[in-house]
Amino acid sequence: MTTQGGVQYSKIAEIKGPLVIVDGVENAAFDELVEIETNEGEKRLGKVLEVGNGKAIVQVFEGTTGLSVSGTNAKFVGKVMEMPVSEEVLGRVFDGLGRPKDGLPDPVASSFLDINGAPMNPEQREYPKDFIQTGVSVIDGMLTLVRGQKLPIFSGSGMSHNILAAQIARQASVVGTSDEFAVVFAAIGVQFSEAEYFRRSLEESGALKRSVLFLNLADDPAIERIITPRVALTVAEYLAYDLGMHVLVILTDMTNYAEALREISAAREEVPGRKGYPGYLYTDLSTIYERAGRLRGKNGSVTQMPILSMPSDDITHPIPDLTGYITEGQIVLGRDLFRQGVYPPVNILMSLSRIMKDGIGEGRTRADHQEISNQNYDAYSRAQEVRALAGIVGKAGLTEVDLNYMNFGDEFENKFLTQAIDENRTIEETLGLQWNTISNLPKNELTKVKDKFIEQYYKE
Amino acid sequence: MPSLAELSLEKTVDQVLEKNRSQLLESLKLSFSESQQQLSDSLPELEKEYERILSEGQKEAEKIEKQIVGSSDLEVRNKALLLVEEHTSMVFEKAKEQIKNTKRDSNYSNLISTLLTEATEALGTSEITVFTNSTDKDIVQSAISKISGADLSSEQIDCMGGVKITSKDGSMTFDNTIDARFERMKPLIRKNIAAKFSLGN
Repeated sequence: MTTQGGVQYSKIAEIKGPLVIVDGVENAAFDELVEIETNEGEKRLGKVLEVGNGKAIVQVFEGTTGLSVSGTNAKFVGKVMEMPVSEEVLGRVFDGLGRPKDGLPDPVASSFLDINGAPMNPEQREYPKDFIQTGVSVIDGMLTLVRGQKLPIFSGSGMSHNILAAQIARQASVVGTSDEFAVVFAAIGVQFSEAEYFRRSLEESGALKRSVLFLNLADDPAIERIITPRVALTVAEYLAYDLGMHVLVILTDMTNYAEALREISAAREEVPGRKGYPGYLYTDLSTIYERAGRLRGKNGSVTQMPILSMPSDDITHPIPDLTGYITEGQIVLGRDLFRQGVYPPVNILMSLSRIMKDGIGEGRTRADHQEISNQNYDAYSRAQEVRALAGIVGKAGLTEVDLNYMNFGDEFENKFLTQAIDENRTIEETLGLQWNTISNLPKNELTKVKDKFIEQYYKE
Repeated sequence: MPSLAELSLEKTVDQVLEKNRSQLLESLKLSFSESQQQLSDSLPELEKEYERILSEGQKEAEKIEKQIVGSSDLEVRNKALLLVEEHTSMVFEKAKEQIKNTKRDSNYSNLISTLLTEATEALGTSEITVFTNSTDKDIVQSAISKISGADLSSEQIDCMGGVKITSKDGSMTFDNTIDARFERMKPLIRKNIAAKFSLGN
């Protein structure tokens, strides 16, 4: 970092894509914030990507359109990019760089935090084990979200992931505790109509009061997208660890983030990795995802739900692939279910919440939760097999039990999975629906559930 | 006198009528008991439906309450924010006015020397051109006489006070005017002013 921030350099060697190369720089530091001033006095923000040999490579967040080598000045501010934070950020709407977008002044800051966050001491991490109720049956019942977890949603273009994201943001809550709950919502490269939908949806449901929105629109400079998840997570960390809140961070769409990263990498002429994404995509994504968690001695938690749309619904694409290595499970939206008109179209057979087992059961949700969930998984998998078989031999060739499984499959999709976009189901309702659907099968088919639970909950 | 055949027909008709009557009565009894059964069966259903409507109504009411309370809370908070901002700006303007009219005494001369030293250190060279406003021209002139290689520009800048320096090759500039420092410190000062209005920490 410069010993004294504020030195302005006027020798611009080159402007290349989103990068500005400044000459004659002596004291700049990696990640240092830079103010670029155009001929017309317009100011743009950037950060130092590389320094050395008297040159500094600056990544301009707002793009370099309209900049020229002569007449452009770069002021090295002497500090990294910071986000002003305080309790006042709740209920506010910001742009992708953390500037107010709701016509109100900057929030009065309690402190200014480095947007890159402070790495969590692994020894101080606490294992996530408390339930977050999203009010969405398939998530609460079968892919339970746990406080401090990072559970991504893998979707495809045109599917209802944004509607699901908004529903979760509106409905999510922690049950059985008086601890405060907040939602930080970061929209990365979304259309204006989607951004408006998110804002209106939170406003009209009264959930905006406990939410913070960061909106980077599709027509905002792509480079800004590198910053959006980071400012959002900085606010989330402040709310969680300084104010003791349980914070759910929803990041949509991380594919746009990765594409911005690819753009910078290409401009820097780095050796491309898979599909042109930089070789450090995994490391970079982990700097975002690993900011979820709980810390020993701190009351709050940061839970992450990144949403990414898989190009061509390809789950082996580098973005979902690398995301899956870092996160603790995934919720996969299925194209077939979406086409059938099922909402939310969650393909449970491809989805998994790895740490669900620690957040459910007696004292957290209900004693039979794990078993009824396993039974539903098992039965739905069998129903899919039976459907495939019926496609070959016809319904007439199926046994009585097979037909029961087919009925179960239909009921599972139509009554348990399908939910209105404003329907907020409690965990009791969700578990009740799971028992309703499984009761399409004869008792002797329920091999994953203890007899005492069958006695108690099976619907004759 | 009716014939035997007529009597026999009458008897058969009576028998049929009697049989139909008893069947009808039986059927009526059955229907009655069935409808009673249905009525008693539908009672729990009715109660369930009643409970469902009540709970849905309750949920809806809670949703609306949340909406109303949430938006009113936000509205109040936002109004307070705007008010504080307005007053903070007034405080800033007042402060700027006072700074502008500060007496150019020995303390101020020391301040100019400090600002010059700071700026020179930031650029890492003393081969500099110094810019200032018309009021501070003389004080700055005497301060730069101690720095070899420093010249005072004849061009004057519009500021409250302080200096702005540029390396002689024009590649580096450091703005150490009071205006620039004010801008740099603004978020922190703003926080302190807001705290006086009991907002922020």
